[in-house]
Amino acid sequence: MSKVIGDVILDVQNISLRFGGVKALTDISFNVKEHEIRSIIGPNGAGKSSMLNCINGVYTPQEGSITFRGQKFDHMNSRQVAEMGIARTFQNLALFKGMSVIDNIMTGRNLKIKSNILMQALRVGPAAREEEEHREFVEHIIDFLEIQAFRKTPVGQLPYGLQKRVDLGRALAMEPQVLLLDEPMAGMNLEEKQDMCRFILDVNDEFGTTIVLIEHDMGVVMDISDRVVVLDYGKKIGDGEPEEVRNNEDVIRAYLGTSH
Amino acid sequence: MGFFLETLIGGLMAGMLYSLVALGFVLIYKASGVFNFAQGAMVLFAALAMARFGEWVPLYTGITSPLAANLIAFALAAGVMFLVAWVVEYLVLRHLVNQEGTTLLMATLGITYFLDGLGQTIFGSDIYKIDVGMPKEPLMAFQSMFEGGLLISQEDLVAAVIAAALVAALSIFFQKTSTGRALRAVADDHQAAQSIGIPLNRIWVIVWCVAGVVALVAGMIWGSKLGVQFSLSTVALRALPVVILGGLTSVPGAIIGGLIIGVGEKLSEVFLGPYVGGGIEIWFAYVLALGFLLFRPQGLFGEKIIDRV
Repeated sequence: MSKVIGDVILDVQNISLRFGGVKALTDISFNVKEHEIRSIIGPNGAGKSSMLNCINGVYTPQEGSITFRGQKFDHMNSRQVAEMGIARTFQNLALFKGMSVIDNIMTGRNLKIKSNILMQALRVGPAAREEEEHREFVEHIIDFLEIQAFRKTPVGQLPYGLQKRVDLGRALAMEPQVLLLDEPMAGMNLEEKQDMCRFILDVNDEFGTTIVLIEHDMGVVMDISDRVVVLDYGKKIGDGEPEEVRNNEDVIRAYLGTSH
Repeated sequence: MGFFLETLIGGLMAGMLYSLVALGFVLIYKASGVFNFAQGAMVLFAALAMARFGEWVPLYTGITSPLAANLIAFALAAGVMFLVAWVVEYLVLRHLVNQEGTTLLMATLGITYFLDGLGQTIFGSDIYKIDVGMPKEPLMAFQSMFEGGLLISQEDLVAAVIAAALVAALSIFFQKTSTGRALRAVADDHQAAQSIGIPLNRIWVIVWCVAGVVALVAGMIWGSKLGVQFSLSTVALRALPVVILGGLTSVPGAIIGGLIIGVGEKLSEVFLGPYVGGGIEIWFAYVLALGFLLFRPQGLFGEKIIDRV
C-alpha cells in the first residue's frame, strides 16, 4: 500500500461509560491516525457501538476524554461533532425512509449550505448556483456508490444492502475527515460485503478519509484494516496490526472460548 | 343546476377552512413526526390573541386606521405564537428527543389543556369578535348563465385565496429549501438527523412557529366568521378526518382532503339528507375517515407505510 498514514487525529483517553450498574466501557484508550482504517472489533455486547456513540456524542462517558485535532473534550455533542467533520453511519439503518435517495444524501450537505432560506425558496442568485453545486457533488457520490438507478426511489423501498450504501452516501456528503462506520456489513451476503469493502477502501484511498470501522466479522476486518482494537466485556484486550491481534492469546480466547 | 353548484361552492369554501386547520397538523407531523394534539388549542390561543390585540391596539395606542391596527395586532399575535413555540420547545420537546411518537403525542395532549387554560386566563373567556374587514355581503355571479345567478360568499372567497397562497408558500418551503429538507429529515429519524449536524432544537422551534402562524391565520378566518370563543378549540376535531383522508404527511393532501370533506358534507346533507332524516353533515367526515383507515390508512397522498419484517 502506498498511502501515507499521518499523525494522530483522534485520541480516546481512559473512557469509562456506565448505564446504572452496567459497565459498558471500562478505561478504554486508543488513538486513530490520519488516513488509516482503524477497526474496533469484539464479540456481541463488547461495547463497540457504545464506544462509537461516545465519539459521536450520543452517549456521555462518565470518565475520560476525547481529543480531536488537538482539541480536548470531556464529552462530545452530536451537532458539534458533525461540524468538526466527523460523520457516521448506523448499525440499524437510520435513514430518512420517506425521502428519495437524492434527498437523503442531500441532507448530508445541510451544514454546507450557506444561502438563506428566502433566497432558496425563490431560487435566485447565488442560492440557485449553490443548490446546483451541492447537487453535483451528490451526483458524484451516487455514481461512486453505483446507485444511479435508484436516485428518485424512496429509500424505504430499497433492499437492505442498498440502504446501507445510501447511509454511507449521506455520511460521505458531509465530506468528513473521519468516518465512523457502525457494522457496515452486518446482515449482508458475501457479494454485498465485498462491494461494501471495496467502497470503504476506495473512500479511504481516493479521499484520504480516516475510517473508524466497527465490525464483528473478523475476516473482513483483518483484510482491510491498518490497525485493530479488540474489546471484550467493555475492556480493551488487544490493539495493534491485524497480524499481531490475530495471534493475541486474549483475543483468541474471547472469540473462540478456552478449554477448561 | 344552479342550486347544485351553489352547494358545491359552499362546500369547497367550508372545506378550505378545514384545510387550514388540518395544515397545522400536517406541518408538525411532517417535520417532527409528532401528531400535535394541541393544534386546536393553538388556533384558539392565536385567535384570542388576535381578537384582544385588535381591541387593545386602538385603545392604548390611539391608532384609528383599522388596517394599521389589524396589522399590528396580527404581528403581535404572531409574536405571541413564536413565544409559544419557543416555550414548548424549551420546556417540553427538548427533553423528549429520541422518544417514541406516543410519548410526544401525550405531551402535546398536556400542552392542549395548558394552552386552553392559559389563553383564557390572559385574554379572557368571553366571546370576542375579530374584524379584519372581510367583505360580508355575498356575491352574485353567473347571472346570465343560471336563473337567479349563483350566490357566493365573498368572505369565503377571500379565505380560500389566503389558504391557497399559504399552501403554495409552504409547499415551496418544504420541497425547495434546505431547511425544508432538514425538517423532513428530523421527522424521519432524530438520531440520524443529529449525526449529520441538523440542529434539532432550532428545527423544532421553526416548525412550531410556522404551525403557530398557520393556526393564527386559521383562527383569524374562523374567528371573523363565527366569533372567537372556546368552541374554536374543537374545530381541530373537524380537521382530524381531513388529515386522515389527505394523509398525515402531505400538504396538498390536507387541502384536497379538506375540500372533499367540505363538499361531501354539504352535498350529502342537501341531496341525501331528506332520505335519512338529515344530520349527515355531522357524521359524514368521520365515517369517511373510518373507511379510509380501514382501506387506505396512509390517506390519499400520504407516504406509503413500509414495514420490513
